[in-house]
Amino acid sequence: MGPLTCEQAVRQFFAYLDRALAGEPLQDLEAHLEACLDCCDKLGFSRQLDAFCKERLPDSPMPTALETRIREALRRH
Amino acid sequence: MSSSTAEVQEDARQRFEALALPHLGQLYRLAVKLKGGAQDAEDLVQETYIRALRAFATLRDPARIRPWLCQILSRLVLDQHRAAPREVAVGDLAEVDRFSLYDLVEQEDPFPYSDSLHRDFLAQFGDGEVRRALLSLPEVYRVPLVLLYVEDLSYRELAELLGCPVGTIMSRLHRARKILERDLWQCAKQRGIVRD
Repeated sequence: MGPLTCEQAVRQFFAYLDRALAGEPLQDLEAHLEACLDCCDKLGFSRQLDAFCKERLPDSPMPTALETRIREALRRH
Repeated sequence: MSSSTAEVQEDARQRFEALALPHLGQLYRLAVKLKGGAQDAEDLVQETYIRALRAFATLRDPARIRPWLCQILSRLVLDQHRAAPREVAVGDLAEVDRFSLYDLVEQEDPFPYSDSLHRDFLAQFGDGEVRRALLSLPEVYRVPLVLLYVEDLSYRELAELLGCPVGTIMSRLHRARKILERDLWQCAKQRGIVRD
C-alpha cells in the first residue's frame, strides 16, 4: 500500500490513541505523521478532546447502604 | 427444596458474596459513568449481582470475577437499550465519521487573537454540557467508550466483553468520538460561541 492520504490517516487516529494499531498500519500512520504537521495538530486535538471528555465522566461516591441492599437482594434470590 | 439443596445454594451464595462484593465500589462507579444518575446506577448494579449469582456456576476462573461482572453489567445496559430503544438522531453515518470539530473550529476561528484556539474552544464548555453529550450517546457507542476510558481495555478485550468483532469495536469507538465532536459543535452554536 502507498503512503496514506490525510483522510486515511485521520480515520486511524483513535485506534492509534487507543494503542490498537500495530505492524504495517502503525508504520504507515507514523510515516504520515512525520511528514504532515497538519495531521500532527489534528491528532493532538483528538488526544486533548479524549482527555477532556474522560475527565468529565459522571462520578458519585458509592452510597453506604448499597452493600446491604445488594446482600438482601441476593438472599431473596 | 430439600435441606441439602438449600445448603448447597447457601454455600454458593456465600462464596459468591466473598468473591464479588469486594468489587462493588468499582462496579458502582462504572454504572454511574454509564447511566449518569445514582438511582439508575444502584438498580443496575443490583441487577448485575443478581444475574451474576444465578450464573455463578458458569464462572470458570474466580480470578476473572471483576471482568465477568463488568461484562454482565455492560451487556445489561445494551439489553435495556434493545428492549426500549431511544430515538437517537445519529444521522448519516459516513458524514458522522468524517465530521471534524478541529476543522470547523479552525474555519470559524471564534477567538481570533488566541494562540491556542482549539484549547480555548474546549474551555468554553462546562462539565454538565460535556456530561450531557456523553450520556446522550447511543448505548452501542457509549458502552465501549466508557469501558475504554474507565477500564483501559484493549480492542480485543472489549470485543470479547461485548461479544462483537474487533472491527466493530474500532468503528464504534471512532464514531462515538465523532458524535461527541458534533454534539459539542451544536452546543457551541446554541450558546453563540460560534455562528449558527
